[in-house]
Amino acid sequence: MKENRRKRRAALAAVIVALPIILFFVSLNVGSYPIPLRDVGKSLLSLVVPSFRSEVPPAVRDIILLIRLPRLLLAVAAGASLAVSGAALQALFKNPLVNEYILGLSSGSAFGAALSLVFLGRAFPPQAGAFLFAVVAVLAVLLMAGRLEASLVSLLLTGVIVSAFFSALLMLVEFLASPYALQSLFYWLMGNLSLAGWGDLALSLPLMAAGLALLFLLRWRLNVLSMNEEEARAMGVDVRREKWLVILAATLITAAATSVAGIIGWLGLIVPHLVRMAAGVDNRSVIPLSAALGASFLLAADAAARSLTSIEIPIGIFTSLIGIPVFLALLNKSKKVWL
Amino acid sequence: MRGRAGRLFPLPWPLFLLLALQLIGQELTVKDTLGRTVVVPARVSRVLSLQPEITRIIAALGADDRLVGRDDFIARFDYLSSIISPRLSQLPAASAPDGTPDLELVMRLNPDLIFASPSEASISDYLQSKTGIPVLAFASMGRFSGLLEEIRWTGAVLGRKDRADELIGYFRQTLGRVQKAIADIPAGRRPRVYLSFWSSFTRTPVFYEPVNAAGGRNLAEGLMPAYLGTLGTEVSLEKILGWDPEVILLHGSYLPAERKVTTSSVLDDPRLRSVRAVRDKRVYYTLGFWYWWDPALVLVETLMLAKLFYPQRFRALDLRSEANAVFKTFYGIEGGFDTLGRLLDIPDRPWR
Repeated sequence: MKENRRKRRAALAAVIVALPIILFFVSLNVGSYPIPLRDVGKSLLSLVVPSFRSEVPPAVRDIILLIRLPRLLLAVAAGASLAVSGAALQALFKNPLVNEYILGLSSGSAFGAALSLVFLGRAFPPQAGAFLFAVVAVLAVLLMAGRLEASLVSLLLTGVIVSAFFSALLMLVEFLASPYALQSLFYWLMGNLSLAGWGDLALSLPLMAAGLALLFLLRWRLNVLSMNEEEARAMGVDVRREKWLVILAATLITAAATSVAGIIGWLGLIVPHLVRMAAGVDNRSVIPLSAALGASFLLAADAAARSLTSIEIPIGIFTSLIGIPVFLALLNKSKKVWL
Repeated sequence: MRGRAGRLFPLPWPLFLLLALQLIGQELTVKDTLGRTVVVPARVSRVLSLQPEITRIIAALGADDRLVGRDDFIARFDYLSSIISPRLSQLPAASAPDGTPDLELVMRLNPDLIFASPSEASISDYLQSKTGIPVLAFASMGRFSGLLEEIRWTGAVLGRKDRADELIGYFRQTLGRVQKAIADIPAGRRPRVYLSFWSSFTRTPVFYEPVNAAGGRNLAEGLMPAYLGTLGTEVSLEKILGWDPEVILLHGSYLPAERKVTTSSVLDDPRLRSVRAVRDKRVYYTLGFWYWWDPALVLVETLMLAKLFYPQRFRALDLRSEANAVFKTFYGIEGGFDTLGRLLDIPDRPWR
């Protein structure tokens, strides 16, 4: 019986890992500009075999290499980052309701983007504002909560308070914004991958990769951190340092993802739960599988956003519309909250 | 009543829904853009305009001395009002940034009539029920016919019918000159135009009449608006590459420092390098909406676009003097376009 369950979990894990790779190549063929499969292949191959460059029209090559490829890489990186950040923080706080935005990050980044879009002009792009204030919000939470010496509950409460504070600041900026600036802000707040180019990814992609690598290396310690602190200390773990590292890495990847893609909700809550339902609660597998499933989820949502209507529907809408019913259905089926 | 209105005004504009004008004693009964029936007193000497387009039309009608208040957009963001009527700068703003009227101030200003924006549909009824003052919600809704009807009805309720007719006639005549010059150009030979509006390269109007009137083809025309009740939608970069526009127009109504999308950012974007307009460097600013339109500016914009699309046919058109003449006709000011040009960094030709 146990052996069967183990095999089933291993098979599911294999599917979850393979899924983003399959979706990535399927998504490369999705878009409003019809491109034959062989031209997609030739465009990709032209990166390593220059002779292929002349075999596809320049517009097709640019669409594959300069529009779809960075967009899909962002979907993979942001999806993985948001899901892993949620999984890590849920383990750290021992709370299944925690998400990647719990420490005030989303309201901080929304305020930063709003400042840029409404008042600061081109010299200070929304990506920079969002990243800066996401980090400021989390630092404010940590400082107010007493540099992590305080209990995790007080850290969560401080996160709620800092979120409320930045939300109020955001409302103030919205109130003062011109109708035109407000439109841009609303669109940013809904989450959007459509304008991602290599320039946008130059900084955010390495940050996300570094943070994900750190959390991947820390994955076994998350198992220890999700125990009682005394037990963790008894096992030789420097609890304070490890908490810092987890929060730092989770903040870094969420801020980097949010600054380029806008606020994409629910991923960090839904994906780790789905992973735990499928593959159990061991963080050594929850972290990498959350990365794979988060990437797949965002790739699928982006493909749907691009292909279902003539309008580019912001992806944040899709992640909520698809994710919440799926999550509820699975939760209902499992009759259990996993952590 | 509907039939009578149709006979009186043979060019009814469906969105305007001005279906009836009825003299009841000394009052006018008017149907506004929202389809509300509003009874307006025959003598309107104090007017509060919470709709920027109407505020400009009132200035063009020469009735700005009757204005007792303005809206927040005009007060805080509209560089135009100080050019067309310095008097407007002195007026108190009677609405909050979100469009909510300041009821106490409205009562204190004691207007006979209030103009509101149809964008915030509930505000008109709320304002009228709370103050007992008639509220008309008018806007062009981004159509020339709507703009001209708006001028006509604003003139009618303010007792400036002749001036309104004069402006309408001038607008139609100027537009007619452009259309006559391009009438023989078949649809297939008119330039394919992509418009980037509202601070994002991928946000575009699904209908923009100045482009059509100047002989261009708006590639996004007919798409479903993404913001209900407006003319805007979102398209993908791929879609724009697929359209391969011959001309790209960017929203130039913003002050230069506030433009998020600039001609250089489009021309330098490697993702757009295969687009014909970018290859040919035919990426320009156009004026566009500025909380609906300014009636003079949208006429100037149409002339500017005609010269841009067909430089040979309009080579005799001296844009600067023509644009200044439009401002003189509408607002009675000298060098209005020159002043605006300095503010928006517009040269006397289609500009980058």
